[in-house]
Amino acid sequence: MSDLAAPAREAPAQATFRVLVVDDDPDMAAFLARLLKAAGMGVDTVGDGKSALASVAAGMPDLILLDVMLPDMSGFQICERLKSTPATALVPIVLVTALEDHQSRVRGIEAGADDFLSKPVRREELIARVNTLRRLHETRKELEGRRLGAEVQRKEALRKAFSRYVSPQLAERIIAEDTGDTPFEPGAQRISVVALFADLRGFTRLTESVEVDEVVGMLNEYFAVMTDAAYRHDGTIFSMAGDSLLVGFNVPFPQPDAALRAWQTARDMVSGFRPVLEGWMRRGGLSTGVGIGIASGEAIIGNIGSPHHMSYTIIGNAVNTAARLQQLAKAGEVLLSGPVYEAIRKHIEPSAARPKGDLALRGKVEATSVYSVQLGGG
Amino acid sequence: MSEPSYDVKVDKDLEDLIPTFMRNREKEHEALKAALAAADFEQLRQLGHRMKGVGNSYGFTHISTIGKLIEDGARSGDRAGLAAQISEYGDYLSKVQIRYE
Repeated sequence: MSDLAAPAREAPAQATFRVLVVDDDPDMAAFLARLLKAAGMGVDTVGDGKSALASVAAGMPDLILLDVMLPDMSGFQICERLKSTPATALVPIVLVTALEDHQSRVRGIEAGADDFLSKPVRREELIARVNTLRRLHETRKELEGRRLGAEVQRKEALRKAFSRYVSPQLAERIIAEDTGDTPFEPGAQRISVVALFADLRGFTRLTESVEVDEVVGMLNEYFAVMTDAAYRHDGTIFSMAGDSLLVGFNVPFPQPDAALRAWQTARDMVSGFRPVLEGWMRRGGLSTGVGIGIASGEAIIGNIGSPHHMSYTIIGNAVNTAARLQQLAKAGEVLLSGPVYEAIRKHIEPSAARPKGDLALRGKVEATSVYSVQLGGG
Repeated sequence: MSEPSYDVKVDKDLEDLIPTFMRNREKEHEALKAALAAADFEQLRQLGHRMKGVGNSYGFTHISTIGKLIEDGARSGDRAGLAAQISEYGDYLSKVQIRYE
């Protein structure tokens, strides 16, 4: 019967509820479309299974009226396929079957059909069934909208919380990979980290000769460079106090190249600070520089403090060693613990790194091998 | 089969669809005759099944009635009965009068 003349396609209306009519009989499709349009719905019609699936892929209908007998595949097959695909599973499907065909109805239920319509089709029955499913579908959509709204709010809250510690890119990744478990676990964890401490050499003494307002402006300039460098390499800023900064790597997400990221951060901190320092020298003759210490090892990460004031931070050997190295570093110098240097040595010019031997660091029993890289003057 | 009513009332809002509908019924009648000549009972069953669904939807009760008989006749291979129904269908199409209400 493929030579039957197809009726003029019903022009899609600007209706909010769209029905896809799938029927290879053009007269039946035209009839159903006419009734649905008269009830204020938008209608698209297709005559075979392949076109039906293509139409759904191109634009999700709000409901599908699906004939059982189609030339290329059965209505049951189409129904099964749509109902087993998460993106289309919730679209209501009404199977159009012969009134006495109970076997088809059972098969339709098995295929996941939401309702049935008997041929010959009665106008009142068609509209009543479609309207019932329309109400159900709209309620379902509203609930889904509310769920998505709550999800967006939750993610925004996460984004705000994370952005205090991590780079915007890392915050986006945390949100994107969000599985409901926060990467910032509420309990403490013992993990392997690379800690970087940066500090301005002699800044406290220098600021005694500078106006208070100017000190704040200078610190803001300095920290802007430091945080930019840390975020560029996805470091997590754990503390910012006075003129010192603690950045962690391999936390909260694993970073197999954590040592290299820390080294690149240090390099960018020193080079980024250079023009700031030149400006300070021009304005007030202030001469300082960034001293940096980097160490790796185990640390404890968690919320530390009292119920009145909490800080999400890292503590432990790696942090203490990095702090000690930073105290020893001169302006423009990066002091690396032995394991950090070994991890990144192929990225450093051999002549640039100078072993400083085993240093007994204050507060530590065992001596630590230390390497120095001078990146800039003081 | 009861005496057919050649006077069919069709909903006014379907009026513009009827010329195409009737042309398709004429083509359908020709297809039925061809299928019977070829003893293609599966084609006859499918055509009957479709008539059954579409006829009464538009208000043509008798088309659905004939369609059901053709579908059943095709299943049982009742060639004589099918010939009679197809002839009856042609007669009906030539006599039917449509009123739009």
